[in-house]
Amino acid sequence: MEVALEDNNLMENILPPDEQEIDVELEAKEKKYLRGEGANLESLKDKKLKTQLASREKLYGKSAKAAAKIEKWLLPASAGYLETDGLEKTWRIKQTDIAKEVDILSSRNQYDIVLPDFGPYKLDFTASGRHMLAGGRKGHLALVDMMNMNLIREIHVRETVRDVAFLHNDQFFAAAQKKYAYIYGRDGTELHCLKERGPVARLRFLKNHFLLASVNKIGQLHYQDVTYGDMVASIRTGKGRTDVMEVNPYNGVVALGHSGGTVTMWKPTSQAPLVQMQCHPGPVSSVAFHPNGHLMATSGKERKVKIWDLRKFEEVQTIHGFHAKTLSFSQKGLLAAGTGSFVQVLGDGSGNYSRYMSHSMVKGYQVEKVMFRPYEDVLGIGHSMGWSSVLIPGSGEPNFDSWVANPFETSKQRREKEVHLLLDKLPPETIMLDPSKIGAMRPSRRKDKPTRGEIEAEKEVAVEAAKGVEMKKKTKGRNKPSKRTKKKKEMVENAKKTFPGEEQGNVAGKKRRIGEVDAAELPASLKRFARKN
Amino acid sequence: MGGLKRKSSSSAKSVAKSKKKKKGPHLPNSILKVIADQKRPLNSDEEEEEDEIDSDDEHGGDLYEYEEGVPEEESRKNNRYDRHDNYDYELPDDFEDENVESEDDDFDGGNSENDDDDDDDRHTRMLQSLTGMPSAAFQGESKSKPVLFTEAYPEGEFNPTRDVLEGKNVLTEEDFLAPLEGKPGYHKTSKQIARMRKDTKHVVHAPLPKPQRERLERKAVIGLVDGEFSKWVHLVKKNREAPTVYFNQEVDLGYSTVGAIASEFQPRTEFEKKMASLLNDSEVSEAHRDDGARLLELNEVSMEDHIKKRDHIAKIRNLLFRHEAKSKRIKKIKSKTYHRLKNKDLKKSSLGALMDPEMAKEEAMRQEAKRVEERLTLKHRNTGKWAKRMVRLGLNAKYDATRAAIAEQLQMNANLSRKMHSMGDGSSSDESDDEEGLNDGSDEDTPSRLIAKAKEKTLKTMEDDEVPNAGLMSLPFMARAMKKKNEEANEEAKRALEEYEEWENSGGENSKKPVSVSGRRVFGATAKVEAPKESKKDSDNFYDNSDSDNDMAGVEDNDMEDVRDNASPARNTGTITETEFDDAAGNQASKTTFDVAMFASGSWKKMTSCKNTESKKESKKTRAPISQSQDKKGSRDEESEDSESEAEEMVDGVLASASKETFEIPSQAELINRAFAGDDVLDEFEKDKEEVLNQEVPKPEKPVLLPGWGDWSNVQRKRGISKRMVMEHEAEEKERKQKLKTRKDARLKHVIISEKVDKRAEKLHTTTLPFPHTSKEAFEHSMRMPIGPEFNPSTVVSELNRPEVVKKTGVIIKPVKFEEVNPNDEVDDEHPRNHQKQRSKKKTGKRQGKVKSK
Repeated sequence: MEVALEDNNLMENILPPDEQEIDVELEAKEKKYLRGEGANLESLKDKKLKTQLASREKLYGKSAKAAAKIEKWLLPASAGYLETDGLEKTWRIKQTDIAKEVDILSSRNQYDIVLPDFGPYKLDFTASGRHMLAGGRKGHLALVDMMNMNLIREIHVRETVRDVAFLHNDQFFAAAQKKYAYIYGRDGTELHCLKERGPVARLRFLKNHFLLASVNKIGQLHYQDVTYGDMVASIRTGKGRTDVMEVNPYNGVVALGHSGGTVTMWKPTSQAPLVQMQCHPGPVSSVAFHPNGHLMATSGKERKVKIWDLRKFEEVQTIHGFHAKTLSFSQKGLLAAGTGSFVQVLGDGSGNYSRYMSHSMVKGYQVEKVMFRPYEDVLGIGHSMGWSSVLIPGSGEPNFDSWVANPFETSKQRREKEVHLLLDKLPPETIMLDPSKIGAMRPSRRKDKPTRGEIEAEKEVAVEAAKGVEMKKKTKGRNKPSKRTKKKKEMVENAKKTFPGEEQGNVAGKKRRIGEVDAAELPASLKRFARKN
Repeated sequence: MGGLKRKSSSSAKSVAKSKKKKKGPHLPNSILKVIADQKRPLNSDEEEEEDEIDSDDEHGGDLYEYEEGVPEEESRKNNRYDRHDNYDYELPDDFEDENVESEDDDFDGGNSENDDDDDDDRHTRMLQSLTGMPSAAFQGESKSKPVLFTEAYPEGEFNPTRDVLEGKNVLTEEDFLAPLEGKPGYHKTSKQIARMRKDTKHVVHAPLPKPQRERLERKAVIGLVDGEFSKWVHLVKKNREAPTVYFNQEVDLGYSTVGAIASEFQPRTEFEKKMASLLNDSEVSEAHRDDGARLLELNEVSMEDHIKKRDHIAKIRNLLFRHEAKSKRIKKIKSKTYHRLKNKDLKKSSLGALMDPEMAKEEAMRQEAKRVEERLTLKHRNTGKWAKRMVRLGLNAKYDATRAAIAEQLQMNANLSRKMHSMGDGSSSDESDDEEGLNDGSDEDTPSRLIAKAKEKTLKTMEDDEVPNAGLMSLPFMARAMKKKNEEANEEAKRALEEYEEWENSGGENSKKPVSVSGRRVFGATAKVEAPKESKKDSDNFYDNSDSDNDMAGVEDNDMEDVRDNASPARNTGTITETEFDDAAGNQASKTTFDVAMFASGSWKKMTSCKNTESKKESKKTRAPISQSQDKKGSRDEESEDSESEAEEMVDGVLASASKETFEIPSQAELINRAFAGDDVLDEFEKDKEEVLNQEVPKPEKPVLLPGWGDWSNVQRKRGISKRMVMEHEAEEKERKQKLKTRKDARLKHVIISEKVDKRAEKLHTTTLPFPHTSKEAFEHSMRMPIGPEFNPSTVVSELNRPEVVKKTGVIIKPVKFEEVNPNDEVDDEHPRNHQKQRSKKKTGKRQGKVKSK
């Protein structure tokens, strides 16, 4: 724990608080709370609006300042860190070294649980980090209270468990088993069997949207709303089988890593992927997202880990030389990568991820999953012989917000929270690459007229419908076949008439467009001679 | 032509010929005045000239030269003539006319004088004898000369001469005064006129033309108004710029206690004054202060009062006795007809109605119907035939009976159409009621007060139910009936009281609510209290159900069986991975999956040697970029570390795969395939991208002709597809290229970003900019900050969410008061301090210092 880590003698040279430094710090925090810059009011012509916006901006500034001050002075704990002097390297420091220096409570977080029978274990933490779910491949499910190391429930489902995931709190969890995925209650009772999804390979829960996303063995992505049980979307990815799936916590976009080295990003409201990225030449073995949503780490089988900037979709950094079976970002942005029995933690010093700590387990343990525990400086490692927990100073967010996630939640608070979560549930269409655009102007959309083919098809359908109309049987004189055919012909003609003149309109549009394009393509000096329509 | 004498045809009373003014025609005064007014201020020089001329005239020029004006045609006075230019020779202005002797002149003049002299004399004499005035007075008149009319029509007040119209030779005061010279009062008037002329102060100038005048007026007004309004500019600006306007100033609600109200009491009516004089009597108060002894003395009843009281009692007794005697006598009458008639009368009369409630009701209904009818028909308003006739013929004035009848009708109408007053009659009580109503309106807890008032009134009526001991009501049967009624009323009053109490209790609870408390509301409140209980129960049940095993047991059992079936002992030996990957291989026969399978099954560990070399190569290759970021030592370390880890892995691999025994070394071809696996992956991705682009930005169709068309001859074939079509196609291609260029992923080779529009997500965006905003950028920037309590410190939330107008309910918004404002002052945000405090008190502790940590 970070507080405990502070009296570690590895860390020295703590600078005395300087006024200036505080100012700089406050300013940085203020900037964070301002959430971007205000509009340029100089360009506005409306004076009234200008004053209104200016006063608004002032209030925002006030709010940001207050928030920064609160963060600075009222948030009790500060993040932990690891500091070395001289020739010492942080990655040489072993867990045993740390154990000597930290307080008892923190040192209790270093342990190995050896469960050799039901091997490799998948892990999942609740948002508060209070509870952990461990799913052994061979059917062992365990729900553990991490605060007091209390095993809440342990069940054995006696079939393959491929993945486990908590739902919105510790009361429910889902497990992807051999044939179907199941939802269990906290006490281990099976609540639902999710048959629609088929044999699920990976499960992830989207907290803000209450969607349980899963990808199955045949590469289908399913989104199910757990509040009312409806399947919101089932998407065929068309990229083959995958077991690499991660949710971007910032916007709820699900990323899948494929065998062709592509990473695709999905949202439930579209059948086509939002983004496809060719990240690796070989298969993608794991994907992880930074909590701020701007960074993505991928690792490929070609022994490379790449870090991507998701705002530009560009590669930021490539870390050569090791293959990560599993990747995980911590709340503070440390990146853990696990291979074999070896776990490496990368820290971003000055924008570049470099080695920060490493941990090697007993030989023969195969790391299955690494995951940082929220609000703690703890890394959970699920491996073939059980699970372990190691201390990574500076990984967790030191201060929790009880309105977001409270590790010390009482049952009453939890119930209250549940209601709040349900009320604040976001509809699935709010999942988009840039959710900050919600509420902004609709992006200008090119007029998509129906193409000629579509119009033809529509016309055909209409004509068919007209032909298929059953004629009434009329009185003797009027029921002649000639009259009937005439009538039918008329109807067909009428149906055709509803699609008139599209050609003319199209031609006109084209003509106009041609003129525009001409004007646009001319060099600047000749633009004045362009035909003006 | 010159030198013609001319006399005015007007019949102005003139005096002696010598003194007569010979200038221009005589005009009515009003016109002259107007003309003078118009001329004088404009050209005072002319006035002087005129004066000179006048003086000349006075000197003795008694001859008047006729000045010929512009000809009628040229003056264009009435536009009677067509316009034409005058080419005649015009004399210069300063040309002096020579008095050429003309024969005509003399001739004419002498002739006429001689002829008329005798007649004139006779005429004056006659006038003299008739009026008794000196002949001088009439001489002027009588001197009628032959008149030459040069005008086309006679001169008059509406047809002034030309020179007047032209502004020359205007009449002045002197002209009028001259004939009066020597007459009594002349000096006085002349002096007055002189004085008037002298004091320029009181010269009334001619008014300016109307538009000009109005313009000036407007200018002046604008100046004034601007001055007045500019005072307010700052105030208005301040209010306009203020993000919030407050109307929550404290209002003085007036007295809060009964004592305070009582202390302000001033006796106004006679009775009150009397009471006040008694209450404030120094004697009485003194007596109170000392001891009770003197009070008794003061309490003494005077002899007169005593006698009066006694007399009154005696009178009442006497009346009672008489009444009894009368009723006894009536009772003794045995005639049934008499009694029947009497009863009938009684019933019919209002008294009977009073006795019997049903009757009363009927009576009231009848009365009401009558009233309604009256109001509808207005029958008794003397609008009838008869009444009209009576009024028309004036019979109502003649005969008393008719008048009485009409008056009676009117009275009836008045009675019937008068607005029915409620029980509370009498003006004083009405007034008090009104006052109370007003007070209630201003008061806050109206319902409770209303209830209290109602209660008080009912109590009073209950107490007041005393039998009057005099008059008709004191009669025994009346008394009995009254008693019966009173009992009923009392019961009702009691019930009402109970109700009031109930309301009061409930009213105390929700006294905050400004709305009056009704029975239904109370009922609703109880329902509300119960509702959550029910829901809780429901939810409890729900959870119980879900928790209980009753429903789930069967399902679980089934599932468990399934599980058992699946988990057959053959499969339970740890070969799960194999089978799974077999599945995978079945599904997909690609190389990559093969790789995966190989990796997973641990077969790759066998080819340690080759892999080792490979990895070393790789590490050598990759060292360069890393060494840039780290120092050499670090890189060396890393290398060693790498190798270390590698070694570990190897060992791990050996250890882990110890249980598995059979695998083959992959062939060289396979290894090569694996090494270059990425190449065609990239190709594939490019193809994918192409496909996606084609889908999202479709390629234009190639121009083709229908088969057989344009294929007839060689020439046609040579010409090929028409130029127009080719051009169109090219344009479309260009457009497509443009579109592709503007795509986000245009420059990113390895990325495909879908630009499909999500229709479901469209509702999350605005289509138009909300009102005051004009630029998208400004709007989006202003929307970036959340303003909810979850995202902002509690100190700012209220400010962020404050409405434009803060107003307390019930506060009267007064017009803006003028106050000096320093224009440089900032808009005061801290105004509603007290108000804010109240609000923040409610919220304290709830979200203190809470910030979203994102």
